[in-house]
Amino acid sequence: MNGATINLLYFARVAELVGKRAESWPLSGESTGAQLLAALGERYPQLEPAARLKLAINQTHAKPTAPIRAGDEVAVFEPVTGG
Amino acid sequence: MIRVQEADFDAAALTAGLRESAGPGVGGIVTFVGYVRDYAPDRPTDTLFLEHYPGMCERELEDIAATARARWNLAGTVIVHRVGALHRNAQIVFVAAASAHRGDAFRGCEYIIDALKTRAPFWKRETLAGGSSFWVEQRQSDQDRTDSWDEDTADKKENP
Repeated sequence: MNGATINLLYFARVAELVGKRAESWPLSGESTGAQLLAALGERYPQLEPAARLKLAINQTHAKPTAPIRAGDEVAVFEPVTGG
Repeated sequence: MIRVQEADFDAAALTAGLRESAGPGVGGIVTFVGYVRDYAPDRPTDTLFLEHYPGMCERELEDIAATARARWNLAGTVIVHRVGALHRNAQIVFVAAASAHRGDAFRGCEYIIDALKTRAPFWKRETLAGGSSFWVEQRQSDQDRTDSWDEDTADKKENP
């Protein structure tokens, strides 16, 4: 645990829009996926075209209500398109 | 067996390997191969770039295969998915399900590719022959297909 931060990972179009693939993000107390997405939208208004953002917390798909804790690895991406 | 790789694959060799490892009780293997196809009839694809989330990707594929093996009588499964720059007509993905009976093999294989399309963290970026490039959007029909497996409980674990 490195204090009150999380490790954010960006993939595909989200990485292109924010201009980076990873960053450390400060976390103030208990937070949820939805709160994180709202904060990201404020910090990166260029994410607006990516309307359907999804989250994975510690490499597992997570709902907007899922809690986010210090030290978590949180990935932000659009719906997957493999296969 | 789960593999995420840049290299191409030999579908016949993968099928033969599954038959060997699954044993003599296997009565059939259903396979699916996905290819890079043209984005639209009048918009030919030049390159499909596949990005993935290493670690989570393999875990999701393992979980999808385990779910299929728990739900149907399968003697073995194989998932191979390519990443990186793939040209027009290239192979993208291989899925195989082995079973004593064809019904389980067909359903297991179809479930795996359906679930993969909505759960495994891969993303495709199209570059068309004309040079334009864009990230592919997930189809609602793919999500609907995955959801329909949750509602469909009639065929859970048939007797061998």
